[in-house]
Amino acid sequence: MSEPATSGPATSGYISSTGEPEPHGYSVEVPPLEHRPTLDELKERKARTRQNVETTGEILTVSMGPQHPSTHGVYRAVLDLDGEVVVDIRPEIGNLHRGVEKLSEERTYHQIIPITDRLDYLSSFAMNHGYCEAVEKLMGVEVPARARYIRTITSELCRLSNHIMWLGVHIMDLGTQTFFCICFRDREYILDLLEMLTGARLTHSFCRIGGVAKDLPDGFAHKCRKVVEFLPKRVAEYERIVKQNRIYYRRAKNVGIFTSEDCFAWRVTGPPLRAAGVVRDLRKDEPYAAYDEVNFDVAVEYNADVYDRFLVRMKEIRESCKIIEQCLDNLPDGPFLAKDSVHTMQLKKNVMRDAGAMIHDFYQVFHGPDAPKGEVYRATEVPKGEFGVYIRSDGGTKPARIHFTTPSFYHGQVLPAMARGEMLADVVAIFASIDVVLGDCDR
Amino acid sequence: MISLEAIKERLEGQFGSRLLDRADFRDEVTYAVAPGDWMEVLSFCRDDPQMAFDQLDCLVGDHLPERAAAPFQVVAHLVSHTHGQRLRIKTALAEDPTLPTVTNLWPSAGFDEREAWEMLGIAFEGHPDLRRLLTTEDFEGYPLRKDFPLRGTIGGRIRTELKGKI
Repeated sequence: MSEPATSGPATSGYISSTGEPEPHGYSVEVPPLEHRPTLDELKERKARTRQNVETTGEILTVSMGPQHPSTHGVYRAVLDLDGEVVVDIRPEIGNLHRGVEKLSEERTYHQIIPITDRLDYLSSFAMNHGYCEAVEKLMGVEVPARARYIRTITSELCRLSNHIMWLGVHIMDLGTQTFFCICFRDREYILDLLEMLTGARLTHSFCRIGGVAKDLPDGFAHKCRKVVEFLPKRVAEYERIVKQNRIYYRRAKNVGIFTSEDCFAWRVTGPPLRAAGVVRDLRKDEPYAAYDEVNFDVAVEYNADVYDRFLVRMKEIRESCKIIEQCLDNLPDGPFLAKDSVHTMQLKKNVMRDAGAMIHDFYQVFHGPDAPKGEVYRATEVPKGEFGVYIRSDGGTKPARIHFTTPSFYHGQVLPAMARGEMLADVVAIFASIDVVLGDCDR
Repeated sequence: MISLEAIKERLEGQFGSRLLDRADFRDEVTYAVAPGDWMEVLSFCRDDPQMAFDQLDCLVGDHLPERAAAPFQVVAHLVSHTHGQRLRIKTALAEDPTLPTVTNLWPSAGFDEREAWEMLGIAFEGHPDLRRLLTTEDFEGYPLRKDFPLRGTIGGRIRTELKGKI
């Protein structure tokens, strides 16, 4: 597996720096460290790495999905191919449409929380959290400090689980099965923590309007600390396996380049946007929960390709571990649910003992929380991108219109723009790199 | 970086009385415009350097049957990465609603407009590919309209009062 010796110091691992021509007609570049391409350089690189699709011969139309394993669910892409070059893609979504917005209009604000779980089922708590932030903004509910910290910890655990799962699936799409099992083993530690905290492994429904459902259980902090100390070591191992793997490097480097301008125009958010050199993270820009009270860096890379999206996610795992550690260190005492009987549920342990709590519980369950008239939009940073919730309220206990602006909806749309002119095999790598979950996409 | 106040001043200075309504709620600002001004206001928001709303966060269709003269509305949420601000612009539409497409300003509006069309029946003129997106091709009716029932099945057990609606 060793490379023939080349001039200059040997590159670490298996990255070839010989510049030998690739079948695409361009050579693999090894940019010097800390080299940040400008927007014009990226545009030029994008034009160079894409095949010209104007001069086409006979077009072959192939349907990829909805049962294709690399579409991560029930996404269907109709590909127009000229040889192996992708001329056009027509995405077909909707196979998992459940009418979430229509269902939500018939439910009180409390009853919508379990529905939001089913949007992005790989990071359910982040979806609960985003929805509750929007409702709290609408109703003007103040969240106690301890609840904000618990929310931050749980959201970051979801981010860890999501990114580790993404890594396993992404690498499996590009050809290796073993790595998938490694990632699933590590994800299990995080799912155990989430199960300990929320009682569920996948659909947590743990957030409440004005706080969270339960306090941290005994022993959680200790167990959580062990996991977040252990994970950065695992990330170093992932990087050792993947980052300098020659096959991965050649399949990911300079593939699917999508500049910051393209990202804005197509509403591509989250890791793909940050991989294009944009320092945009709603945890910093529009802080919520306890994110303005902890120190962390926004993970940014500059080459805007599949490889850099991988690097961004690895950085984010490290930052998430830092955030969780700080939250555990500074966890304040106090209630984990706001004492606001008009908008929040009562604690179940009080309901059977306290007449006032029982009355308020009855009111919340059968009537629901009252919202003022108005419309709000709140966006939060979920693992896949920016998740926005638009609520129009006419007063009363049910939203008049609720819209979930989910990141995967736009990431599913962007595949044609991202993959036109690339090779057929690259479509798999590109689609995996933008991390689409179809529950999130179809709603 | 420009404050939200400066953006409001700029927009109001440019369009004046053509902005029909302004609502400030929870530190968010909403402008209502006439459907005829929709394109002009949105392209000004995108292209003017003091506005620079380079991202369309979402475009939402809505049905308000209680507003008899204009029962539909389309709401656009804009984001400016340059100034770090958000803005909401909406327009009210009468029956058989049509609106020019904004896919030429922000291509991300493609799926949003297709969704608004299939869910509410709001047609977008000039949209490159206005087909059903989330429902099947033979689906009839507009699910997100308020008169569309929540329950009911096609084919199997049909409740008689729903006939003709689903």
